[in-house]
Amino acid sequence: MLKFTSLFLFQPVFRIFSAFFILQSEFMDIVTLVDVLVVAMPLLYAFLVGIYAVSFFRNAPAITRLKTPALLFTVGLHIIYIAVRTVAFDHPPITTVFEIMTMLAVCISIAYTYIELRTKASNTGMFILLLAFVFQLVSSFYIKDLTEIAPILRSRLLGFHVSTALLGYTAISLSAVYGFLYLMLYREIKSSSFGLIYNKLPNLEMLEKMSSKSEIFGFIMLTVAIAIGLIWLPKAFDSFSYLDPKLIGTMTVWALYAISLAAKRKLGWQGRKMMIVSLIAFGFVFLSMTVINMYMSGFHSFY
Amino acid sequence: MNLLSIGISHNTASLDIREKMWMSNDEVKEALKQLKGKYFNEAMLVSTCNRTELYGLTPDTQVDDAGLKKFLIDFKGASGVVTPNHFYGSLAGGSVSHLFKVAAGVDSMVIGDIQILNQVKEAFNLSTEIGAMGPVMNRLMQATLHVGKRVRTETTICEGAVSVSYAAVELASKIFAELPKKSALLIGAGETGELTMKHLIGKGIGRIKIANRTREKAEALIATLEAHAIGEVLDYEQISEALRTVDIVITSVNSPAYIVQPDHVRSVMKQRSNNPLFIIDISVPRSVDPSCNKVENVFVYDMDSLSAIVDKNIEKRKAELPKVTTIVREETVEFFKWHNSLQVGPTIQELTSAIEAIRHLEVEKNINRFKPEDRELVEMLTKRIINKILHQPITNLRNGAQNGARGSETVTRIKALRDLFGIEEKDTHGG
Repeated sequence: MLKFTSLFLFQPVFRIFSAFFILQSEFMDIVTLVDVLVVAMPLLYAFLVGIYAVSFFRNAPAITRLKTPALLFTVGLHIIYIAVRTVAFDHPPITTVFEIMTMLAVCISIAYTYIELRTKASNTGMFILLLAFVFQLVSSFYIKDLTEIAPILRSRLLGFHVSTALLGYTAISLSAVYGFLYLMLYREIKSSSFGLIYNKLPNLEMLEKMSSKSEIFGFIMLTVAIAIGLIWLPKAFDSFSYLDPKLIGTMTVWALYAISLAAKRKLGWQGRKMMIVSLIAFGFVFLSMTVINMYMSGFHSFY
Repeated sequence: MNLLSIGISHNTASLDIREKMWMSNDEVKEALKQLKGKYFNEAMLVSTCNRTELYGLTPDTQVDDAGLKKFLIDFKGASGVVTPNHFYGSLAGGSVSHLFKVAAGVDSMVIGDIQILNQVKEAFNLSTEIGAMGPVMNRLMQATLHVGKRVRTETTICEGAVSVSYAAVELASKIFAELPKKSALLIGAGETGELTMKHLIGKGIGRIKIANRTREKAEALIATLEAHAIGEVLDYEQISEALRTVDIVITSVNSPAYIVQPDHVRSVMKQRSNNPLFIIDISVPRSVDPSCNKVENVFVYDMDSLSAIVDKNIEKRKAELPKVTTIVREETVEFFKWHNSLQVGPTIQELTSAIEAIRHLEVEKNINRFKPEDRELVEMLTKRIINKILHQPITNLRNGAQNGARGSETVTRIKALRDLFGIEEKDTHGG
């Protein structure tokens, strides 16, 4: 997982990409390219999830062979999309919640690609990529082409805040998916009714391990993101209040994870209980990202 | 094709008969040595506890079926017990598709048996060792292994446990990630318990503990399982203690009341900080209270639930049969395509040269009757005529051979052609 931190040292990579695309821009209007990709990305993800679903539900070797190439293609194009966006609008897509969502989608896909290549197990892909698809779909629907961004967002601390938050959210998204799969498999084994889940998924212990490892990693990253936020916020916003809905939402999520990790250590919580908490916490994350950010706008919405 | 197969299996003979006909590797080699030359050019013999089957390529179309059966019965000294009626047999395509079905595991006692392919492979190897293989058998071996591979990758006929003990082990590997890091406790003895332990050891379980009322029995079991390195014998009183640490518990005891109760399990789970516990209760009547399954992270399976898994798996395997049949049919056709092409090529060549020889002879005899300036023309004209005459039959023969389903027709055609044109029969089996 830690390898991904290098991905977030944006600057050098983006510079190379910008150089490339500025050269190309004589031939194709870069904003048009962004528009095409905005529509293409969710479609590609839908197609990708479709391939994984067919392979999951049916015994179709021809389709199964397509999985990894299709995944690499989609992830590759997604990275290009983000690079193009960055160049076209002169900022990395981390300034609004919908920009963040496409970043989150790409992070989830990259993390999953790593897992698939590493473990050679691709049957959990459908569930994880489905999440990436949902984030990308919402992002593509609402994302705006902003060329002017608030000067406040030009802060260097913001880069760190967003990077760590993204890593954190990616990890806890994965943790939630694995947790969900764990609960499904747990139910099947307990009730000795075996279906596709039983046949296709890895074992309980592995699902639990994947979920709890991502949860711990995610928790650490979120802690850092929140800490940076708390240092930076009072300086940046005059109207900053500790009772801001976004802050409360985030702190609730953080507290839930903190409590569950403590329960695991102190009370020996394992398996089902941990997974349920992980899912509830993820529900809050989703709420905090969508409802709170959109409708109860506090400091975290900038437009 | 002069391929022939005869054999006995669980379809035609009971276990005591099959036992009489079972051959060790040395016996197989010896039998093949005696059979080669006498009956066959190439041969292979597969012998398992469920079947003894002989496949061979005879030098001519005459098959001494009765002689072969007698040879096998006498070879095993089983006359009186085994009779020719216990045998079944088939020829050519029938033999090929039978072998393919055997390798695919659909002729096995338990449908989709995974072991049989290895046994067939081993049989081919034995035959290779003593030089009883030839080009046709080699091709047949490749085709058979290919069938096995296709069946395993394209169908699910080998998937899902079909015995109670294996179903338990499969479940264990759906709960735990690495069995080498886990330990299992067997309470009591009994065949199923022993089998389950055996499978667990096969899957590389890290440690095993056995508790029995009579300590000697437990010790004997460890010896049978050849598990001294990872095994340990416990006294009955140590069971409670062991429950705190082991991951899998197999109970196989005769007890009027439940020996494991939910309260007990709950307290054990606290002591083992809630690590998953998989309890396999194969005692009849049950020795573990089924409501233990309600305790978090405890998975209880008994004979009934395991049997239900097995039944379902067998049904699933049966549902895959049509796919396997298709594979067997396709591969049989492929095999015959190859075999036909083996015969067609030389026949065409010999036919062409026989006709060319006639033309050449006649032209040579009569060439002086033509003016010198016309002689080249005569040569050309006669060549053209024979080419035109041969074109259609050769094309038809080739096309027929490429269509494997009409394999027997091609063989008849080749025979007729050779017969009518007086082309000598060549040993096509020898390649």
